[in-house]
Amino acid sequence: MVFSLISTPIQTFQFKKLFSGMRFFCSMILVFVLFSCKKDNEIVPVDDWGFKKPSYFPEPHYTFENNAQTKLRFSLGRDLFYDSILSLDNSISCASCHAQTHGFSDHNVAFSAGVNGTLGVRNSPALSNLAWYPTFMWDGGIVNIETFSVGPITNPLEMHESILNVVGKLNANSAYRSKFKLAYDVDSITDQKMLQALAQYMAMLISDDSKYDKFKKGTYTFTADENAGYFLFQAKCASCHTEPLFTDFTYRNNGIDATFTDLGRGMITQNAADNGKFKVPSLRNVQLTYPYMHDGRYFTLSQVLDHYATGIQSSSTLDPSLASGIPLTADEKLKIIAFLRTLTDYTFMANPDLSEPIH
Amino acid sequence: MKTFSQYKKFSLIALAIAGLTFTSCKKEVTPEPTATTGSVSVNFEHKWVDLSANFTLNMEYIHPVTNDTLNFTTMKYYISNLKLKKADGTWWTHPESYFLVDVENVSSTKLSMSNVPVGTYTELSYTFGVDSTRNVSGAQTGALSIAKDMFWSWNSGYIFLKAEGLSANSTTGSYSFHLGGFSGANSTLSTKNVVFNSVSTDLVVSSSHESEISMLVFPDKLWNTAGSINTTNTIHMPGSGAKTMANDFVNGIEFEHVHN
Ligand code: HEC
Ligand code: HEC
Repeated sequence: MVFSLISTPIQTFQFKKLFSGMRFFCSMILVFVLFSCKKDNEIVPVDDWGFKKPSYFPEPHYTFENNAQTKLRFSLGRDLFYDSILSLDNSISCASCHAQTHGFSDHNVAFSAGVNGTLGVRNSPALSNLAWYPTFMWDGGIVNIETFSVGPITNPLEMHESILNVVGKLNANSAYRSKFKLAYDVDSITDQKMLQALAQYMAMLISDDSKYDKFKKGTYTFTADENAGYFLFQAKCASCHTEPLFTDFTYRNNGIDATFTDLGRGMITQNAADNGKFKVPSLRNVQLTYPYMHDGRYFTLSQVLDHYATGIQSSSTLDPSLASGIPLTADEKLKIIAFLRTLTDYTFMANPDLSEPIH
Repeated sequence: MKTFSQYKKFSLIALAIAGLTFTSCKKEVTPEPTATTGSVSVNFEHKWVDLSANFTLNMEYIHPVTNDTLNFTTMKYYISNLKLKKADGTWWTHPESYFLVDVENVSSTKLSMSNVPVGTYTELSYTFGVDSTRNVSGAQTGALSIAKDMFWSWNSGYIFLKAEGLSANSTTGSYSFHLGGFSGANSTLSTKNVVFNSVSTDLVVSSSHESEISMLVFPDKLWNTAGSINTTNTIHMPGSGAKTMANDFVNGIEFEHVHN
């Protein structure tokens, strides 16, 4: 999606026409009355910009309730996403581990470095289409896009900062104070507004312009290999990596381990039947988001396919559909990889509106 | 006189603004408190074991069941969704009713409700914890602000109760219990009803003064059946351990009296 950040609602009022004295005054009254009654959720879109559901996507999970979408809020969220002010020693930002050029995953490392270089314990996932996510993290422990950012900000292995401190630092920054004033009409920045602004940006990370998407929109024809790969994918992978988001958001054990050092979903539910299960990851931009799996153990897609074909480890929580693996010939593997490459969305990864703001 | 006619014009316009503003904004207008409502406070008083000892932070206590020595540095918990039952059997619901009771901050132990319709009330209903809806909703404000440090960042949900402190009986010298959980078998949410005339008199709300409901809280109840902190000195997630402690704590909250 490409959109511009230039026009604001206020420009739609034709000030030129409001020329003299009383007429200007009366018009201002009208403007005042209109504005004073406008509720947060009634902001009228004035141009083409904004959250748009691609026609072949399901309904999004996040609907901007109590956090109506505006450009100011979005660009404030973008400022925050790229600002290391969110971390303890002002050393890392969200973008340090979620780089646009890598489909918003980390720079091809298994584990990301937090403040002071401490390594995390799971692979930084690629981010896209987050407004459709019912849960976040490999174990689904976080259930709302607005409260999401508390996780990385406070995790000692990531930004290692307290919400109270971040809010304090933001309030001590006059540029942020005026941006929050403009975006949310608050004199003092609260944790709620900071989290809502971040959610505005995260929800706009929409990847819908890959070859696959163009195929869905009828503007691209798959090559023979891509097409064959698509059919194989639908038959063998789509039960979990369901189109068009390439995840069904369930938790499954795909057989990468027989015993579990990371309990995954089981840690959240405290139910042994969930041990070793992880959220099915989206495969959008997967070509560029290696290494793969929750611990970044595989560096190539062919290693991943070898795993499904011949490497499934048995355990009590293994997904029953994988009990005897997914038989794949060498040729089938290549075709599936050809299809997976059609999920690479260069428009998304180069979209200037999602890039680091230049101030 | 020009100025006079301008003045007249202005006042007409002002009237028009007032008219417009009122009619167009009707849905936003909330009724002003009138003489038909009054205030009620629910006071949570903290005691150790019985009424003879006040409970405070940074004070050494011996636990009557486990014999553990406990010196609290933190004791706070959520009480929410206050409701009052009228004499006619209908309930009055306190709006946006979320309170973080923090022993460190005396004013937080007094839960104030305003705009309560005057009349006689027979019961109070309150919830320990934060209802499931707010646990999964977007970023909240007030008592539910995440800056209160009562929210699990990695396993979404509010920490309903934090009890932390130092103890020679703990293998680490300290203890830290973060109790919560809003869903399924591990839910620690519980709603309690207090019938005023069981031990006191009915609550009479009047516009002339604030009525009070006094509650007694015994933090020692956390270990009523949980066992010594020598075995478990930390709980930081929902689960059966958290549930046992939270239930014992809530069941130990007593209604003392109504002061009209
Ligand atoms: C130090 C590296 C690091 C930083 C900084 C970081 N993240 Fe992450 N992010 C990760 C890792 C690792 C995970 C996976 C964690 C897990 O599942 O336990 C993750 C997961 C996520 C997810 C969940 C994706 C999914 O598939 O469920 C989102 C969304 C996200 N991060 C956004 C952010 C935002 C917003 C920020 C800044 C406030 C941020 N991250 C900062 C490393 C980082
Ligand atoms: C039974 C459900 C299931 C099926 C079928 C399945 N997967 Fe997966 N897939 C998963 C889960 C769960 C993970 C994450 C596992 C982990 O990290 O522990 C995963 C991870 C992946 C990853 C790593 C993605 C990343 O960003 O780290 C790729 C690539 C992948 N699968 C491709 C495929 C392909 C191709 C097929 C078909 C040949 C397939 N999967 C079939 C459940 C499934």
